[in-house]
Amino acid sequence: MTDPHFATVHRHTSSSRIAIGCGLLLVLAIPSMPFWASSGHIRWAVELGCFIAIAQMWNLLAGYGGMVSVGQQAFIGLGGYALFVLVTLFGVDPFLAVPLSVILPALVAAPAYMLLRRLDGPYFAIGTWVLAEVLRLITSNIGAVNAGSGMTLKAMAKYSAHQREIGLTLLVALLLLLTVGGTYLLLRSRLGLALTAMRDDAVAASSQGVNVGRMRFSVYLLAAVGTGLAGAIYFMAQLRISPTSGFDPNWSSICIFIVMVGGIGRLEGPIIGALLYFFATRLFGQYGSAYLVVLGLLTLVVAIRAPTGLWGLMTRLRPWPWFPTGYILTKG
Amino acid sequence: MAGLTDASPEGHAGRAALLSARNLSKSFGALRVTQDLSFEVGRGEVFGVLGPNGAGKTTVFNLISGDIAADVGAVVLDGQDMTGIPAFKRAAKGIGRTYQIPRPYTQMSTFENLLVSATFAGQMRGQAAYDHCATTLDECGLGDKANRPAGSLTLLDRKRLELARAMAGKPKLLLLDEIAGGLTDGEAKDLVTLIARLRDRGVTIIWIEHVLHAIMAVADRMMVLSFGEKIAEGKPDAVMRDAEVRRVYMGIEA
Repeated sequence: MTDPHFATVHRHTSSSRIAIGCGLLLVLAIPSMPFWASSGHIRWAVELGCFIAIAQMWNLLAGYGGMVSVGQQAFIGLGGYALFVLVTLFGVDPFLAVPLSVILPALVAAPAYMLLRRLDGPYFAIGTWVLAEVLRLITSNIGAVNAGSGMTLKAMAKYSAHQREIGLTLLVALLLLLTVGGTYLLLRSRLGLALTAMRDDAVAASSQGVNVGRMRFSVYLLAAVGTGLAGAIYFMAQLRISPTSGFDPNWSSICIFIVMVGGIGRLEGPIIGALLYFFATRLFGQYGSAYLVVLGLLTLVVAIRAPTGLWGLMTRLRPWPWFPTGYILTKG
Repeated sequence: MAGLTDASPEGHAGRAALLSARNLSKSFGALRVTQDLSFEVGRGEVFGVLGPNGAGKTTVFNLISGDIAADVGAVVLDGQDMTGIPAFKRAAKGIGRTYQIPRPYTQMSTFENLLVSATFAGQMRGQAAYDHCATTLDECGLGDKANRPAGSLTLLDRKRLELARAMAGKPKLLLLDEIAGGLTDGEAKDLVTLIARLRDRGVTIIWIEHVLHAIMAVADRMMVLSFGEKIAEGKPDAVMRDAEVRRVYMGIEA
C-alpha cells in the first residue's frame, strides 16, 4: 500500500483575495451613494446591478446547468408584477414586498420545470420562450392588473426621493450579494463541484454519482428566484410596469450578449459582460439600430473566435482569477 | 454454446457472486444489441469480456452502470436488484466505470476530475477525499499533471484519467472499457500490475479489452460475446481454445 499523502489543497490565490475584497467594498459602497452621488448615477448603479444579477442567473442556468433559456423575462416580469400587485392590491409596504416578490417566480418555476425538463436543447429554449409569451398574454388580459396598460407604483410617493434611493441602493447591494456572492459560495461548495462537472459532461457526472436531474431542477428554481428578485428591484426603480416591458424578449438578448461576450460558465464573465453592455449602451445607444447591429456582430465574432469570452482572453494573458472555485493540489 | 463448464463464479475460489446479470436484453429499434445475456462475477474476480466490434460489449456496461435501461432482465449487485435504479445511485452503491472514448471534465483539472468521483460516488469529504485523489493520481501515473486542465491531456493520459477517476469513487465493482488500447508493452505491463493490485484490495473488475496479452495476464475468467449473445465463458486458456471463439473472434477456421 502507498503511504497516505497528506495532500494540501489551495482554493484561493492572491488575485482572488484582492478581487473579493474590492468587490465587497464596491457592493458595500452602493448603499452610501445617496449621500454623495447624483440621482442619475444612482439610477445607473441600480440598473447595472440588476443587469449583473440577471446575467449571473442566466449564466448559472445556461453555463453551468446546460439549460439555454430564451425566456428568463418570464421571471423578471413575474417578480415585477408580484411587487406591484402586493403593493397596489394588498397594501404591503414596497420595500417589504420586494423579498416577498420571489415567491411567485418560484411557484411558477417549479411546475414549469416539470414540463420543460422533457424538452432537449433547442426545444427547451423554445419552451422557455413560449412560457414567457404565455405569461405576457395572460397578464395583458387580467383586469385586476390593468391588463395591457400596466401598473404604476403610486405607494412610493409616501417616501421622499432620498428615502427611495436609500432603499433601492440597499436592495441592489443585497441583490448582488445574493446572486453573485451566493453563486460563488454555491460553486465553491460540494454542490458546485457537481455543477461544474455537469457543465463539462452531464453523462459522465451521473455515472460518478451526481444527481443531474435534481441539480438541474435546483438551478432552474434558483435562477428563477434570483431573476425575479432582480425584476422586482428593477421595476421598483422604474415605478411602472406593463406586460410588454416586464415580459420583454429583449431581456433574453441582453442576457445572451452579456454572458457570451463576457465568458460563459465563469463567474467573472457576466460581470465583465454587464459592464461592457452597460457602458456601451450609455456611449453608443444614441445610434439606435446601428448600435444593436454592432452588438449582435460582436456576439457572433466572440462566439466563433473566442468562445470563452473576454474573461477567457484575459485569463490567457494573466491567469488571475477573481472568484476561483477550483482546487489546487500541492503535496506536503 | 461451447461446452465450457467452469462458468459459475462459485467455482472461482468459492466466492459468492458480487454481480449477476440475469437474462438481459436490449434492442435499439430493430437492432438487438443484447440478447438474453446472463453471467455472474464473483467477489474479487477479474472478469474479461471479449468480442468483435459491434458485439454489444459496451452496451452490457451501459446496462450494468444504468446509463441505459434494459428492455428485459435484471442486474443484481451484492444481492440488491438494480433495475430501475438510476446511474448516479448505482455509482454511490459501488459501480464505477470508465468510458471507451474518454469523457473527462475538460475544463476542470485532473485532480478535480477525481474529486467529483470521490465526493459523489465515493462519498468522501475534505482531507480524506483530497488524500485519496492525490494517491490515486500517483498510482495512475498522473501525479505531475494534477493541476492541468483535463482537456489539455493527451489521449493516453485521458485514458489513464478514466481509470483514475473511476478508482477515486472507491468502487466495489469496476467496469473498464478498453483502457489498454494504444499502450506500449511496458505501459500495458504497468496497467496489468495496477489492475492486479486493485483486485488484491478486494475490487471486483470487469474488463472489456482487445489487447489480448494484457487481459490474459490478469483475468480469472472470461466471456466472449458475438451479436449480443454469449458464445463462451470460462478460464482464459479454455476460452481461447474454444473453436467457436477462434472462428468468430480471431477469424481462424477450426
